[in-house]
Amino acid sequence: MYNSKVRGKLIEGDKSLGQISQEILAPIHRKKPPLWWYAALLVSLSMFGFGLYAKYVTISTGIGTWGVNNSIAWGWAIINFVWWIGIGHAGTAFSIFLLILRQKWRTAINRAAEAMTVVAVFCASLFPLLHMGRPWLFFWIFPYPNTRGPLWVNFNSPLFWDFVAISAYLLISASFWYFGMVPDFATIRDTAKSKVKKAVYGFFSFGWTGSSKEWLRFEGLSFVLGGIAAVLVVSVHSIVSTDFAVSVKPGWHTTIFPPYFVVGAIFSGFAMVLTLVITMRGLYKMNDFITDSHVDAVCRILIFISLIMGTAYVTEVFMAWYSANDYEFSLFFRTRLFGEYAFQFWAMFIANAVIPQLFWFKAVRRRMWVVFIISIIINIGMWFERFNIVVTSLSRDYLPSAWASYSPTWVEIAFFTGTIGMFITGVLLFFRYIPMIAISELKSVAKFDKPNNGQLKSTGHE
Amino acid sequence: MSKKYILGVFNDEATLVDAFEKIKAKGILPTEVYTPYPIHEILEGMGKKTRITHAAFFYGLFAAVGILSFLTYAAVIDWPLHYGGKPFNAFPSFIVVTIVATILSITLLTLFTFSARAKIFPGKKAEIFHERATDDKFVIVLDTENLGDNAKAVEEIIREHGEVE
Repeated sequence: MYNSKVRGKLIEGDKSLGQISQEILAPIHRKKPPLWWYAALLVSLSMFGFGLYAKYVTISTGIGTWGVNNSIAWGWAIINFVWWIGIGHAGTAFSIFLLILRQKWRTAINRAAEAMTVVAVFCASLFPLLHMGRPWLFFWIFPYPNTRGPLWVNFNSPLFWDFVAISAYLLISASFWYFGMVPDFATIRDTAKSKVKKAVYGFFSFGWTGSSKEWLRFEGLSFVLGGIAAVLVVSVHSIVSTDFAVSVKPGWHTTIFPPYFVVGAIFSGFAMVLTLVITMRGLYKMNDFITDSHVDAVCRILIFISLIMGTAYVTEVFMAWYSANDYEFSLFFRTRLFGEYAFQFWAMFIANAVIPQLFWFKAVRRRMWVVFIISIIINIGMWFERFNIVVTSLSRDYLPSAWASYSPTWVEIAFFTGTIGMFITGVLLFFRYIPMIAISELKSVAKFDKPNNGQLKSTGHE
Repeated sequence: MSKKYILGVFNDEATLVDAFEKIKAKGILPTEVYTPYPIHEILEGMGKKTRITHAAFFYGLFAAVGILSFLTYAAVIDWPLHYGGKPFNAFPSFIVVTIVATILSITLLTLFTFSARAKIFPGKKAEIFHERATDDKFVIVLDTENLGDNAKAVEEIIREHGEVE
C-alpha cells in the first residue's frame, strides 16, 4: 500500500473521481483543438513529407544516395534505428518495471510513455527496412517455407534475432497499450456528448462496462502481460547490442555491451518521457496529475542511470588500455578520445554523464524549463553515443587500407527529420484523441490521498 | 429488459465495499458489480476465479517447445548449412529467438483468450446498467427474484450510504 510520506501526493487538489475523468478527457471532449495544435501538426507533417521524399529517392535511385561506403556501411540509418529503439524503451520500463516494483506514481505517466514507445519503435523499424537496399524483398527475413529450397534464414545471426525482437516488441507494446486503454475508451463513450464520438469510442471500447467479471480477467491479463513483458525490457536492447558485440570490430567486441545498451536505452527513454510530460504539463495543464514530485522522481532515476552511463564509458576506455590490445587502444585513444571523432565522444560524455548530475540539486529539479532543457540534452547526447559506437569502430578497422570517413548526405538527414516529424505527429494525435493519462488506473490510486476512505474501510473488515 | 433489477449506486469505493459485505452477509450474491476501476474485495467477494494465468502458462510451454523444435528441424534436418564452423544444432543461439517468440505467442494468445472469455471484442455493443459506472459511480446490480423476503433489508443497506435506482 502507498503510505509513504516521501513522495507526496499522487494527485494534487483533492479531486473527486468525476473531476479526474473530466479534466483528463477535456482535450478530447472539446470541439476543436487549440490553434497551436494545428500549427504544430502542419510543421510535423511537412517534416514527415520531407522524410517521405527522402524515402522515395532512396527507393527509386538506390542506397548510393546515402553517404555510407564500403567501410562505414551503417551510418545514420543504424544510429537512428538504435536511438529510436532506445527511446522506445521507456514504455516497458515505465509501465512494467514500475508495475512490478509497485510504484503507484507510474499511473500518471505510463500511458504517455507507452504511446511514445509505440510511435518510436515504428520510427525505428523504418531504418533497417530501407537500409536493406531492396525493401520490397524484406519478407525474405521471415522463416517461411519457400521455393528456394526451402532455404531458411540463419538462426545464428544477431540480425535475425533483432528482427524477431523488434517485431515482437512492437506488437506486444502496442497490444499492452491498447488493452490498457479499453476501460478509458468506455469512459469516453459514456461521457461524450456527440453521437460520432460515442459511436467511434464505443467501437474501440470493445463493449467494456466495468463489470467485476471483466475486471477480474483484466487483472489476470495485466498480471500475465506485465510478468512476461518484463523480460522484454532487458531482452530487446540486449539483442540490439549483439548486432555489434557478436562481430569482431574493435570497440564492439565487448561483453559490456548488453547491459550498457539496456541502461542507455532506459536513460534516453526516461529523458524523452520527461520531455513529453513537461510538454503535457505546459500545454494541457496536467500539473495536478503529473505533479512536481513525479518529475522529481524521474529526475532522481536519471541521476542514478547517468552514473551508470559514466561508469560504462570509463570502463570501456579503461579496458582499451588495460587489455593491451593495440587495435582497441588505437581506436579509443587515437580516434574517439583525441582524433577525428573527438567532438562526438566528448559531446556524448558531457551530455550523458556530466550534465544530468545537475539533478542532484533540488533547485534544478524544481525548475521545469531547466529539466526540460536537460532532458533534450540527454536525448542529443544519446544520439552521439550511437554515433560513437556505429561510426568510429567502422572507420578504423584492423587494416589501414579499409579506413574511411563518413558524413551523411541530405537524404539521410531528411529521412531522420521525417521520422522526427512522424513522432511529433503521433504525439499530437495522441494528445487529441487518446486520454493521455490512464484514467482508471489513476482513479484506483486516488483513494490513497484521502485518509477518510481508509478509516471507513478498516471498520468494515480486514 | 424482462427481468427486474435493483441498482445500488455509490459514490466511493469504501461505502460500496461496506454495503457489498453486508448484502453478502444476508446470503445474497449480487448479479454483477460495476466499478470504474478494479476493487479487490469485490473481485474476491463475487467468488469467480480466472484461469487466464494457467492458460498463459500452457501457451508458453507449447510455444517454447514448438519454436525450438522448428528451429532445430529447419537448421539440422531440413536444410543443414555450415555457418562459420558452428555445429548445425547451435543450441545456445536458438535460445534467443525461442524466448522472444514465446513471449510474443503468450501475449497474443492470452489477449485472444481474454477477448473470448470476457467477451470483449471490437464493435461489441455495451450492455450499460448505469451510465456513470465507467466514470465515478460504483454500482451493485441485484436481481429482484433472488432477493425474496430480504428486499427491504437490502434496500436499507444500500440507502445507508448510496441510492437505490
